Amino acid sequence: MWNKFLQRKKPVIHPSAGTSGKNIFTALAFLSPTLVIFCTFILFPVFFSFYLSFHKWNMFSSDRAFIGFENYRRLFTDPEFWMVLKHTLVYTLGTVPLNMVIALLIALALNRRIAGKRFLRTAFFTPVIISPVAAALIWRWIYDPNFGLLNYFTGLFGLPSVNWLNDPNTAMIALIIMGVWKTVGINMVLFSAGLQGIPDNFYEAADIDGAGRWAKFWHITVPMLSPTTFFIMIMSMISSFQVFDIVYVLTSGGPLGATKVIVFYMYEYAFKFFEMGYASAVAYIFFAILAILTLLQVKFMKTRAGYRAI
Amino acid sequence: MKIAQTFSHIFKKENPLVIPICTVALALSFTQCGAKKEKASEKVTITFWHSFVASTIPALDDLIEQYESENPKVKIKAQYVPTGDALIQKLITAIQSSTAPDISWIHSDFLADLVDANAIYEMNYFVNGKNGLSQSEIEDIYPALLQYASLRKRLYCIPMEATNLALVYNVDMLKDEGCHPELAPSNWEELEEYAVKLTKDFNGDGKNDRIGFFLPIFPAAGPLSGWMVWQWIPYLWQAGGYIVSEDQSEVLYNSEAGVKALTLWKNIYNKLNLRTFTTDYDVAFASKLVAMAMDGPWNLPRFNRLLRNLNWSIAPLPKGPVKEATIAGGEYLVIFKQSDHPDEAWSFIKWIIRPDIQARWSMRSGYLPMRRSASDVPEFKEYLLRHPNFKVFVDQMEVAQVQRSLDYGALQVTRHIAEAIEEATLGGGDPQEALDKAAAKSNKVLQSIRRNVE
Repeated sequence: MWNKFLQRKKPVIHPSAGTSGKNIFTALAFLSPTLVIFCTFILFPVFFSFYLSFHKWNMFSSDRAFIGFENYRRLFTDPEFWMVLKHTLVYTLGTVPLNMVIALLIALALNRRIAGKRFLRTAFFTPVIISPVAAALIWRWIYDPNFGLLNYFTGLFGLPSVNWLNDPNTAMIALIIMGVWKTVGINMVLFSAGLQGIPDNFYEAADIDGAGRWAKFWHITVPMLSPTTFFIMIMSMISSFQVFDIVYVLTSGGPLGATKVIVFYMYEYAFKFFEMGYASAVAYIFFAILAILTLLQVKFMKTRAGYRAI
Repeated sequence: MKIAQTFSHIFKKENPLVIPICTVALALSFTQCGAKKEKASEKVTITFWHSFVASTIPALDDLIEQYESENPKVKIKAQYVPTGDALIQKLITAIQSSTAPDISWIHSDFLADLVDANAIYEMNYFVNGKNGLSQSEIEDIYPALLQYASLRKRLYCIPMEATNLALVYNVDMLKDEGCHPELAPSNWEELEEYAVKLTKDFNGDGKNDRIGFFLPIFPAAGPLSGWMVWQWIPYLWQAGGYIVSEDQSEVLYNSEAGVKALTLWKNIYNKLNLRTFTTDYDVAFASKLVAMAMDGPWNLPRFNRLLRNLNWSIAPLPKGPVKEATIAGGEYLVIFKQSDHPDEAWSFIKWIIRPDIQARWSMRSGYLPMRRSASDVPEFKEYLLRHPNFKVFVDQMEVAQVQRSLDYGALQVTRHIAEAIEEATLGGGDPQEALDKAAAKSNKVLQSIRRNVE
């Protein structure tokens, strides 16, 4: 009887499971709802926008004029494109390192046995789940020169009031501050998970060897966290390159275009000026930039600190 | 019984078709919901898309109710789309998928694209038709509005109402500073003088606590950029300038008049140090932080409610070095070629612009009538007597102008002007240089579009 039971449990692999026509058909049938959605909303737009990037089209008319590489040529010769690219880089360099350092500090602080740990973790995570538009509207009020909280507090210390969002020198800083506030929670959770994955016996061994706090941090925590760090770095870089909603609500790319980032630029051409071809070309160049940066990171990180630690 | 059998067959576990069938069935059931139209009765449904501000919607509902009671065979289905930008995006999708409404409210900047896509009727088709409008009726409509509703000398829309721009001011503040007690500034010199006089730094911290005149300087790429340009254009006209040449071959806003208008704004901006001031003007006006600003009649109902504790009033825009002028705007109705009932749609539009309906709509919504004879309606005459602030707007319609509608590239040109205004004020640039730079960009756009068309 036992024998029979075991036999039954054994997965039956048909010799031609993968190739049999009927099985493929069944698999496709089961996948069809997802496949239909995937093809209509992801796969088709991807190829269609590539096709569009060689055309001139305003979305209203049915005729699309083929113009070859004209959109790409125009893109590379537009000084504004290089400007928005620079702003995107500044935003990324401003948010990603700051974000990671703060997230790690919070994660470390909350990794000990302290009172209200759960509450604090929730509190730090809340900004992540608030709708970005609602959050940005609140921050607009915080930054307001006449009614804003921020200027009220700095005023208490006798600092001059700053019109954060209306000054080309401070608008990007204001954006970075909000960007960090908005995304630090998710990275904190990831770091916390990473910290909990480090086995205690490493620390115990280090204690026996007489290692101090710093030594333990640098020689155990940091290397053991490196896969997490690597993951967070790539994901935050991609998401901060794609920043759009908070820029749209907080500064609308202003003042004087000082916070215009690449996705905002793309949005403008697509949905303000209805130049779909040009916007698609921007999207493809943007994709190429992100892909190259990510590949470089993967290559660099793998050989340096990467997954070898485990 | 047979059906049940078929079903049980379909849903038999091994049948690989179950999921695709369900998907298709589900999809079909959705399309069915959308496709179900008036069939049972002979009632004609006219869909009408708009983006009126929320406070106007009760007035619109009231209007539609009246129309439906007068025309029991017609049902008007009004659909609200939150912003003008969202509306045009929705319209594009609808045109592409053949689900356009019968009537829509559009912003005239999008007219060229809709005409080029052959999506809307030319209004003359109806105006000259059996159920059309007489010559005198057409002449009764403010000419500025008709000009704005036309493209390449053809009429494509009918204004639903009118708006323009006037000065809102805090009477007490002007009195306190010894300005003319009854009248707000009447010319540019007075405007600048009052603006400086009314600006106050009460606590002496070097930052102004009260602003004499609020200038709408917004990010050129932002949602308020068009609103900023709209408020600047009257100054260009007052100085005798134009946006674009008669034949639309080049822009003219960088002329001497343009420089004068922008210099006025720049001077006020700098003297009042508006760089450090909030851009939330209505909150600031309600909190007594702003003495004068510009606004349109659509905000009057809100102001009447919000500013109850404030002694405020409305005055025409100050006169410029060359003439008196304000900008006229309004919402324009178009009929789509995809409509199944264009004649009924036209009947509704024709009804809306009837003088008595215009008067009623104006009193309820706060918009201005789009034709002169609405002011002859006794009820409306009396209303104007009771509402002097509103009357200022109605009277201003006589000096109201419209932006010569750009046949091509309206969106881009507006953007370029916005960039020049931002550059000269916030950016501290030279007005002439900023306007020249913008004009060069605009001319390039006009030329390239022209080349493509020809």
